[in-house]
Amino acid sequence: MSVIELLQRSELFSRLTSEQIEQIAALGREAVYNAGDLIIRAGDPSDELYVIRSGMVEVLVSGGRIPDVSGPPQLTSLVRLGQGQLFGEMALVDSGVRSATVRCVEDGTVLYVIPRQAFWTLCDGDHHIGYVVMRNIAADLSFKLRHRNLQARLEGAGGTP
Amino acid sequence: MIYKVSYVVVGRPHLGSIVNLDTPPRVGDRVQLGDELFEVTEVTDLIPPRGEFAYLHVTCQPVQDEM
Repeated sequence: MSVIELLQRSELFSRLTSEQIEQIAALGREAVYNAGDLIIRAGDPSDELYVIRSGMVEVLVSGGRIPDVSGPPQLTSLVRLGQGQLFGEMALVDSGVRSATVRCVEDGTVLYVIPRQAFWTLCDGDHHIGYVVMRNIAADLSFKLRHRNLQARLEGAGGTP
Repeated sequence: MIYKVSYVVVGRPHLGSIVNLDTPPRVGDRVQLGDELFEVTEVTDLIPPRGEFAYLHVTCQPVQDEM
């Protein structure tokens, strides 16, 4: 799958034209990680957005409700994200520090990394791209929140001991 | 259509996963989440489709050892 195809299949860039997606693809670079690699760390400054091209990553936060998940003792895993998913989008919106740590869980995981500043410069020059992407980011964050709500509901019902 | 799927696991502690698929999961399907194998027990629409994306919630359980 080419980078263009990857971005076309990512919800973040849904409803953009092929030309607009090509402009975004030109901003980024690929990065490859192996299982156990830390990709981003909570509390660090944030300046990049990540789209998963292949493989899988795990999102971790300090503390939490799932006590027996493997990993560093001070961190709790929230969710695993696979092909087509993105992370780092919160910092894209609010420019805050990283809210979570993200760790690679499959060898050879390939990410497409988009620098925030270059991306916003593109959006400033084409407000349609900015509007569509912001709407898509909101939808993606909403989906992740719904996923967490369903998981918490099942835990509360005893579905996950 | 691209299917954005939220997997939630019942019956054991698991993080769940979110992935994009080309075909919708169905009850009885087996799915690999990380290095573990699960069986799909329920598929529901999480929210209405938007554009070329459909949003599904899938409940699954660990595959029992087969004799």
